[in-house]
Amino acid sequence: MLFKKLFQILVLGGAVVGTNTACTTRAEAQTAAKKGMKDGGMAADAGAQAAAGGVKGW
Amino acid sequence: MGEAWAFRARVEHDAALRFTRLVGAISEFDPDSPAIALMRRAATDEERHARLCTELSAAYGQSVEATLLPPPVDIAPAQLGRRQAVLYEVVAACCITETESVATLATLLVERAEPRVRTVLHEIARDEVVHGRMGWAHLAREATQVDVSFLSAWIPVMFSGTVDDDLFAEPVPEAETEELLRHGVLPHSQKREVFVRTLLDVVLPGLETFGVDAGPGRTWLEQRQSGTP
Repeated sequence: MLFKKLFQILVLGGAVVGTNTACTTRAEAQTAAKKGMKDGGMAADAGAQAAAGGVKGW
Repeated sequence: MGEAWAFRARVEHDAALRFTRLVGAISEFDPDSPAIALMRRAATDEERHARLCTELSAAYGQSVEATLLPPPVDIAPAQLGRRQAVLYEVVAACCITETESVATLATLLVERAEPRVRTVLHEIARDEVVHGRMGWAHLAREATQVDVSFLSAWIPVMFSGTVDDDLFAEPVPEAETEELLRHGVLPHSQKREVFVRTLLDVVLPGLETFGVDAGPGRTWLEQRQSGTP
């Protein structure tokens, strides 16, 4: 029950916060990303993981 | 007990520094994002949490100053572009770690903690809900604008960096006593159960909701639970 509620509050609640204010379309943003950012569409090489990590919490 | 609260003080302090840095990073490519204001507030929250944890740590006889480490390092893989690296860090810090923190806090609040401990847990829990949600908000927003599927292969790395290796090992008896709950600390097996349930019921389905394949993450978890290296 706790975890179902957490999914609703955090994940679905976050989706509402994040997408209600999105003002650019996916296509527009992807074009901008390709022009202005070097990561437009580039896939990650998960084989080279030496520098990657996570975040410790409670 | 003091060590647990000192560790938390450091975690909260690191989170404040991270969120402050992410405010600037997200502003560069998505200045209208609601995550910016949320993260700015979160950075302030985390500093307050760090103070609360430091006070409790001191009450248990543990100095936090002695445990402080340098500022958190950049956790994103070097080969990611800037926008992908920010998303990586937000997912690791918020969608995974803050979500796990909320589940831990909610579990602790069901138990009978000492009044002073309970007050701190309650105050932190209220804020951590917002911090977890802002991560999912950022992922949801990014999923409408760019390809977020690259995250899938990195989820196991994020999980590995979230917990200590011994979480899936047999606990020492002192780590299993229910007395820990009075002081705001989960016994080892309960901590592992909360971690696993949160991944299975919140984090992994959440990632799938936004188009991130949860397969590698599920495999990581199955391997840890079965003792496979």
